Amino acid sequence: MIPRFPSPTAWVLGLLVLACLPACRQEGPSRAARPEAGSEASAASGPNRGAEPGRPRIVALGDSLTAGLGLPKTEAYPALLQQRLDDVGSRFEVVNAGVSGDTSAGGLSRLDWSLDGDVRILIVALGGNDGLRGLPPDEMKRNLAGIIRRARERQVAVLLAGMETPTNMGPEYQRRFHDVFPALARDHKVAFLPFLLEGVAGRPDLNQSDGIHPTAEGARLVAAHVWRVLEPMLTAASR
Amino acid sequence: MRFVVRMAVREIRASWRRLILFFLCIALGVGGIVLLRSIVQDVRVAIARDARGLMAADVTLSTSRPWDEKTREVIARRLAGVSVSGRTEGLETSTMVRPADERRPVAKMAELRGVQRGFPLYGTVELEDGRPYSHALLAGHGALVRPELLAQLDVRTGDEILIGVSRFTVRGVLVSEPGRRVAGFSFGPRIMVDAADLESTGLLGFGSRVMRDIQLKLPDPAIEPLARQLRIDLRGQFVNVRSFRGTEDRVGEDLSRAENYLSLVGLVIVILGGIGVSSVTRVFVQQKVRSIAVLKCLGATSRQVFAVYLAQAILLGAVGCLLGVALAAAGLASIPWLFAGQPALASIPNTMTGSAVMQGVAIGLLVALLFSVVPLLDVRRVKPSLLLRDASWAGERDWVRWAAMAGLLASLVLIASWQAGSFRIGLAVSMGLASVSLVLSLVGAGLVRAIRPLASSRSVALRHAVLRLSRSGNQTRAVLLAVGLGAFFMVGVRSLQSNLLAQFSVTLDGGAADMFLIDVQPDQVAAVEGLLGERTGRRPPPAIPVLRARVTGVTGRELTLRSYEEVRRRGELGREFTVTWRDHLQANERVVEGQFWGAGRAEAVEVSIEQGLRDRSRLHVGDTVQFDVLGRIVNARVTSVREVDWRDARQGGFMFVFRPGPLDKAPATYVVPVRGPADATSRARLQRALVDRFPNVSVIDLREILQNVERVLSKVTLGISVVGGLVLFVGTLILIGSVSMTRFQRIYEVAIFRTLGAGTRLLTTMIALEYGVLGLLAGGIGSMAAIGLTYYVSRHLLDIAWSPNPSISLAGMAITAVMVCTVGLLASADILRRRPLGTLRSE
Repeated sequence: MIPRFPSPTAWVLGLLVLACLPACRQEGPSRAARPEAGSEASAASGPNRGAEPGRPRIVALGDSLTAGLGLPKTEAYPALLQQRLDDVGSRFEVVNAGVSGDTSAGGLSRLDWSLDGDVRILIVALGGNDGLRGLPPDEMKRNLAGIIRRARERQVAVLLAGMETPTNMGPEYQRRFHDVFPALARDHKVAFLPFLLEGVAGRPDLNQSDGIHPTAEGARLVAAHVWRVLEPMLTAASR
Repeated sequence: MRFVVRMAVREIRASWRRLILFFLCIALGVGGIVLLRSIVQDVRVAIARDARGLMAADVTLSTSRPWDEKTREVIARRLAGVSVSGRTEGLETSTMVRPADERRPVAKMAELRGVQRGFPLYGTVELEDGRPYSHALLAGHGALVRPELLAQLDVRTGDEILIGVSRFTVRGVLVSEPGRRVAGFSFGPRIMVDAADLESTGLLGFGSRVMRDIQLKLPDPAIEPLARQLRIDLRGQFVNVRSFRGTEDRVGEDLSRAENYLSLVGLVIVILGGIGVSSVTRVFVQQKVRSIAVLKCLGATSRQVFAVYLAQAILLGAVGCLLGVALAAAGLASIPWLFAGQPALASIPNTMTGSAVMQGVAIGLLVALLFSVVPLLDVRRVKPSLLLRDASWAGERDWVRWAAMAGLLASLVLIASWQAGSFRIGLAVSMGLASVSLVLSLVGAGLVRAIRPLASSRSVALRHAVLRLSRSGNQTRAVLLAVGLGAFFMVGVRSLQSNLLAQFSVTLDGGAADMFLIDVQPDQVAAVEGLLGERTGRRPPPAIPVLRARVTGVTGRELTLRSYEEVRRRGELGREFTVTWRDHLQANERVVEGQFWGAGRAEAVEVSIEQGLRDRSRLHVGDTVQFDVLGRIVNARVTSVREVDWRDARQGGFMFVFRPGPLDKAPATYVVPVRGPADATSRARLQRALVDRFPNVSVIDLREILQNVERVLSKVTLGISVVGGLVLFVGTLILIGSVSMTRFQRIYEVAIFRTLGAGTRLLTTMIALEYGVLGLLAGGIGSMAAIGLTYYVSRHLLDIAWSPNPSISLAGMAITAVMVCTVGLLASADILRRRPLGTLRSE
């Protein structure tokens, strides 16, 4: 269960390891059969449960935190949201469009692909990798703004989840990075969750060994945060 | 007792001229062992030193969490049991760095390493302009930085930079530093500061990502046990324990392969040397049979005679050993001189190690003793009547002799195990030795029988060659065994070497990419490639599109999975895959089933799967696999199965490759591999230009790390080539010696033939035929058996790919035959010239 390259950029590094380094075969046969913590089938099976046309959709556009790196997909927060929706009798279908290692620029590029079908709400949970790689916050702001604008053009409501960058990046960068999200929420008047990993980040008991990705327990907390913001949006969006 | 000594001395004095060849042959065997084992040991030491330099420690403990008291206690308790000769702690994190000058707000990502005074435990920190490194350079907020950072921030040595909330002065430029392993790459250039100063930057507080490590220097035998023990102790504590010999990456694997190969070669040398020494001893004893009969006539007891000749054999062995050590010393001393023109080769270490001398001498003596005891046991049965008529003892059972031979075999296996250092290698080689010896003896016996009809051939030369081969007590089996085993091991070593070097050359591909741009967006690819072409003057390799996808269902011949839940229960299939699309196969791929699409696009979605995945998941050509590609469902038909050579990992490898077409619209990001410019400043400028224009693109620069690895591996490669070449050279000399020993049997025969009117030509043809047949057979069997040895060792001991090497096998066979034939003729040349009367009189 311990990913070899413990960061949201895991897949990129994994790929790099493939592409250039003999070191380990991320895709290779030796690593192939990774046992995943068994959880007996829950009602909401992770990715799209096939074509059920007509169901309104909620798309979670994010990185490894959304994809649920190191967890069975059924324990990542989008699947937990689906459970809650099913529990309250909502028809919404949650699409997990989380891509491990993705940055805000990547999210912008694949937005059209992900806004497939009858999408009503877009959860934007990107930026973590921008922060880990020290990409310019201004650039990230432009990308996220682009995503919000294009979703709006298609009449899709947006839920923006904020992100923080680790302390080691330095106070100046941390502040500039932090400021991007509230500013975007204010400027574009979107539903806003200040910090996706609130109460989870930095707590060893809620994170996997890499110190970044939440455990199943952590993911439940994340789902609770998102639900708090998402629930009030449902009524408007289901019309 | 006095009789024994006096007799032995007299005998040696009487025939010292003839003994010179004996001495030389033993000396060659022992010298070969000492010389090559010294070199092998030196090369191993050099490899180990470089391997330590790669990690800068014998054992490293690292963790992404702060060291807590409990963990520290566990470590301290474990370390109390061993003598730790060096210890240093460090931490690593990444951060944004900018010039302290407020007017220049450019901030860049850098990788920060804090070190203590003891760093590095192994290897050296190289600075620009050859300045020596000392920890004092870092004192009082000093920093050493990579040249790329200077170029990116536009600062120079002496300027101040801001790290966290602290100012640091750039005191020097890092060229290379030990302790960077392949897996440890990052997104920015390196900065080295004092560990305590790093604490003051405020970067290590709550929510910080820091790798902390403890590096240890330990006595060699303690390394592996301690690492193993710590791994057990710290299980579940998120601490990673690595030893410098660790094989968790390719370099470590390659180094341990090289070590295994070298210990194998060391063993082979011992066997070759043993073959040389044993053939000398055997011939020596055989020659003495008549003198023994004379002694017995004069009343010597078997015991006394036995002692006389055993003493001689030991003396012979001892003097030969001394001569061998001298030969080895001369050989070692000449290495720098031989390779004076090639500095890389001259750097091969060339000190004679004490243990190699000990081993060589001990083995020389032991083998001489063992191999003389068995034939000397026959002394007991030499009867005085032998002087008058030839007698043969065939058919008698002699249990003492059998017991002696069993003892001999057991000793040989013991020597092999001692030499190999690795039980598995010792066993493999002993098994090979035993089975090849068996085959050779059987073939020898079979050969004698098979060619007997030829004894009535019309050709006089052929007839007599055959008769001689099949006569009992002649050299057929001995030569067959010596040459066959020699060919077996030499061809084996040679083809192992070529397999091993092929493995290394994959790792050492000089033209491969050393810099990777990741997260290049589709609309940026053309511009990025344009910029790269402009800056590097060559077209970069094609960008690789990558997508993440999950399998959500399968409809197939053997496997039907209807939901992601069902897929997930299949284990491997349930994970997230990185997929790509392209219209061609990579150099390390081969289609093993179905057909790979050609150029051109298709509307239907086709996918090619990897062989191992097919075998494990029971997917087949023709099956339909349902993928969730970034939230959309795609149904793809499996149209081919690819075998991917994962060793050649630079080519990359994908479990699923799609046919270009339907997925083109999917939002892939691209990875662009680049072979960047060699010098650091232009690399830094290129990276800066890229990042300025494409801010979302990250550059991963692997040059420094790859260079370290390349340096070590090319040294290893060189060492292996030199050692392999020497084995061939010395082994050939030893075999030449063994074969030429057989000349003594011929002296009398040739004289008789001459008396009966045989011409030189006839005699030459006879000898050539005899040796030719022997050489061809021995070479053939040895080379064929060597294929088996190479296969087993490659696949099971070195864990490398095995590819048959027919050219080496054929060459081994041909060269052996020609060599045996030539040596036989040359060794007999003076016998052919000798006047028969002289021989008949003196014999």
